Amino acid sequence: MIDRIPSGFHPFVIPFLAGMSFVFLYCILGVVKIIYELSWAERRKLFLSLINPKYIYKNLRDIFLDCLIHVKLWKRNKLLGYMHSSIAFGWFMLIVLGHLEVFLFVPGRINLFYYPIFFNYFVAEDAVTLRGSLLFFLMDFFLVIVLSGIILAMIKRISSRLFGMRRTTRPSVMNNIGLYALWAIFPLRWLAESFTAHISGGSFLTVPANYLFREFLGNDLNMLPTWWAYSIALGVFMFVLPFSRYMHIPAEMLLIPMRNAGLKIRSARKGFARVQVLSCPNCGVCIDACPMTVNRGNVKDCTVYLTRQIRRNNERRIDEISDKCLMCGKCEALCQVGVEGPNLRLMQRATRSYRISPDFRDIDTEPMIAAAQGSKVLYFAGCMSRLTPVIPESVLSVMKKAGVDCTWMDRDDALCCGRPLFTAGRIEEAKQLVAKNEEIIIRSGADTLLVSCPICYKMFLENYHLPGIRVVNYIPYMYDLVKQGRLTLRKSDVCYVYHDPCELGRGCGIYDEPRKLLGRAAAIAEADKNKVESICCGGSLGSLSLNFQQRERMTKAALDNLYTSRADAIATACPLCKATFARYSDRPVHDMAEIIDART
Amino acid sequence: MTDFGFHLSKSSQLDLSRVDRERLNRLYELEPGARICMTCGSCGATCMAAPYSGMSVRKMLLHIERGLDVKPLLSKCMLCGKCTMVCPRGINTRNLILNVCKLYD
Amino acid sequence: MKENVVIIGGGVAGMEAAKQLLTLGYNPVIVERSAQLGGHVAGWHKLFPDMSSAQELVKGLRRDIAEANVFLETRLNSLQRTKSVYTVELNNGVRLTSRAVLIASGFELFDASKKEEYGYGVYDHVITNADLEAWMNGREDNRIPAQPQSIGFVHCVGSRDLKAGNSQCSKVCCTTAIKQAIELKERFPEAEVYCFYMDLRLFGKKYEDFYINAQRDFGVHFIRGRVSEVGETIDGRLQIKAEDTLLGKPLKVQLDLLVLMSGMVCNPIAKQLADKIRLQIDSDGFLKSRDNIAAIGESNQPGIFYAGACTGTKTVPETLAEARAAALSIHTYLMNQ
Repeated sequence: MIDRIPSGFHPFVIPFLAGMSFVFLYCILGVVKIIYELSWAERRKLFLSLINPKYIYKNLRDIFLDCLIHVKLWKRNKLLGYMHSSIAFGWFMLIVLGHLEVFLFVPGRINLFYYPIFFNYFVAEDAVTLRGSLLFFLMDFFLVIVLSGIILAMIKRISSRLFGMRRTTRPSVMNNIGLYALWAIFPLRWLAESFTAHISGGSFLTVPANYLFREFLGNDLNMLPTWWAYSIALGVFMFVLPFSRYMHIPAEMLLIPMRNAGLKIRSARKGFARVQVLSCPNCGVCIDACPMTVNRGNVKDCTVYLTRQIRRNNERRIDEISDKCLMCGKCEALCQVGVEGPNLRLMQRATRSYRISPDFRDIDTEPMIAAAQGSKVLYFAGCMSRLTPVIPESVLSVMKKAGVDCTWMDRDDALCCGRPLFTAGRIEEAKQLVAKNEEIIIRSGADTLLVSCPICYKMFLENYHLPGIRVVNYIPYMYDLVKQGRLTLRKSDVCYVYHDPCELGRGCGIYDEPRKLLGRAAAIAEADKNKVESICCGGSLGSLSLNFQQRERMTKAALDNLYTSRADAIATACPLCKATFARYSDRPVHDMAEIIDART
Repeated sequence: MTDFGFHLSKSSQLDLSRVDRERLNRLYELEPGARICMTCGSCGATCMAAPYSGMSVRKMLLHIERGLDVKPLLSKCMLCGKCTMVCPRGINTRNLILNVCKLYD
Repeated sequence: MKENVVIIGGGVAGMEAAKQLLTLGYNPVIVERSAQLGGHVAGWHKLFPDMSSAQELVKGLRRDIAEANVFLETRLNSLQRTKSVYTVELNNGVRLTSRAVLIASGFELFDASKKEEYGYGVYDHVITNADLEAWMNGREDNRIPAQPQSIGFVHCVGSRDLKAGNSQCSKVCCTTAIKQAIELKERFPEAEVYCFYMDLRLFGKKYEDFYINAQRDFGVHFIRGRVSEVGETIDGRLQIKAEDTLLGKPLKVQLDLLVLMSGMVCNPIAKQLADKIRLQIDSDGFLKSRDNIAAIGESNQPGIFYAGACTGTKTVPETLAEARAAALSIHTYLMNQ
């Protein structure tokens, strides 16, 4: 293999060169800006992780598996997984192999960074070697892989249903330009390489095409225009990239180390939040995932549109989208990139300014502390459970049967756990409630805090500092009592379908214990969508602006999903889910405590 | 202020002409449910803040509609959402409260 | 041979209509789902405003329709129309034809356990208005203590409540609550009785007198505020929370008995019938009359007539008046055909 063009340059590389330099510069400035936006502690955390071999390995592995192979997507949908990984990994391999070719055959040119991209134009094949043939074969092989991915992408654009997606995102202008440029790059590359295959050599894809084209055309006049077109397509794609969804390609490579370093979203737009927003690939998985999109409603309030509006600085829409969300967390759980939609919204909510702010500091907790003292196990039912009194009554009854001495902390006067204020973005006010409750719990003398409301449970786990006190949800606690033989369950013939409450399932990762516990008390059937894909009941306190009528449709859709199990009754573990479902359900809705109490 | 040793007692008569209609209409726009309260008192009955500040969404709305100060009422609202749950008219009371906190002081 | 008129429902509306149709020379056929005639009224003890016996009223009607055909514990298998004749197939195999059908399927009591916050079925001393009437008619009920010191009534349970799916006022509960408060006060003179209401809607003849009686002669306390929470204290007494909306203060009181005034919802049978012969349902969930003022007893289908609470919440006198009117409408319709 020898250099064909002595200068090693041709003007057709300019579009690519310009585009590539632009993207490079843009990304470097972007990284600097983002690093600058981080707090000092965050920056330190990030840099320390970047020199730690453990993190380096983890980052590289995650980038390879998530960005190139798209492992998460494969797990969800094989066709979509293949489509994405064929383009990403195939393109990556073309670039790697291109560099390898330059390095092996014309090492003097390795400093020209367009050379590997347009290698076939600049070289002539002087001898056929095994090494060369193998490389050419691999190049053609990966080109076929990429082309197959592009064909699938075109089919998906026409009919997304074939790919298991009922709804996809409406592309913006920039996204469309980027998309068509991307689609054009690889067919053009194949054409260009085919036209030069009799000079530079080629393999199973390019050589036959070369014979065919030369047979028909009889000359090489098409060679240069195709290389120009290939370079222009690349250039257009690069120029559009920062303003389109394709920004997710570089952004994700920053997102992964930042996430691995343990960074959290602390601002609505800056630092880690900016990386999250840019990392959204606009795939639209969150649209089908979102419980609000029932009957084609609220599609434009999904996370994919939030990231788009944040990039456009459309403040009105950002506020609307942020307030509407139920914060059920399903979009985040299913997102291939891990964009934290609910947290982005939470931080947006936290930017609001209010003229009236509550102040809880002067509330006298002494009577509440006195009421909470007396047992090692302190039970917190939560505000909502007062509207479903069967839950606390059943929990206490079960505890009595198991011989657990337990005091009901919020039987009379009590304070909210703070999560509703927290999710509304009033974080400082929520902290005041947290401090008050911490004082009550710590001074109660208990060593276990038993919680039946998953909303409170999540708050206690994540936002409370309760040294020496075990915070436990009532389901694992009851299951332990069963395993220890302190509770004996009689199995009934009733068949239940268990609904995973958002805050307990996706929120705290408790999926198996409820099923194991329920399995000892009754027969179980599973709904079509369950566990991590469980559909929010629609009653969530996460949403600030959804009204009763809008929620009704969501509740009915969530019920329809539960009905697919053909169970006789619905079991759940959240006072809000129970109250919301009971309103419209055609079959009984029972809390887990109720069922266990009835079967012991 | 100079202490003259006496003070004038404020009139306890409501004066509807002094209600800030523009702000009230803005509130109705932000939470249309505010118009359909039937003052049943369910919200006040279930309110977690009621024992501390006498809060009740019903009362808060009436205070606003009659031009009275709502700040003391809202001073202990925990936004827990029980009022939303019990409201027989399905008013989104939390959205109402947040918007009152934004518009009034 | 007398002409058949099928009447669906053997409550007071169906019975009264049958009585009138017999006089007009027809052969009314009552199809009743339960084992006895009289519907909800048969389960009631005394009726306002004169405290007359519900049992006597039902007994009288039963006597009056002794000649009518009555199918008890019977359901409709099908109802079809061919031209101007309806064919009714019952689950006991009987097939009837009739040119006119009267729907008097009435109401169903709202299931109080759906309002979970009131703890019906959870706490021992929470009952409904219907439970109380049954107890007064002699049924044992150990939820009602032997010597209650304090008793509460919650008005509007499942009425005027969009969350429960019912926007309508059930009309009779305010008066019923006052009636039952007086009755309980007569049995337990020592007890304090509290009525928690949203609005007192005492529109009927002598209802207001009832109210005055309850206040003046029986010392019943009226508190304007809807109860929204029921709990139990450590010593096992009920504790309810309400807002005294007239004072603007939260209120709690401990009780030994809580009576929930369950409202009326349309009987689901009416909806099944509506599906069979394409009758319209009104926005309140009850059957839709051809005209809510001029033709309340007529449907949008020729030959289908309504009487009583299937078209909305009704008092007993209203129901009886509608039943008589429906009988006459049917007569006129059949004469003109």
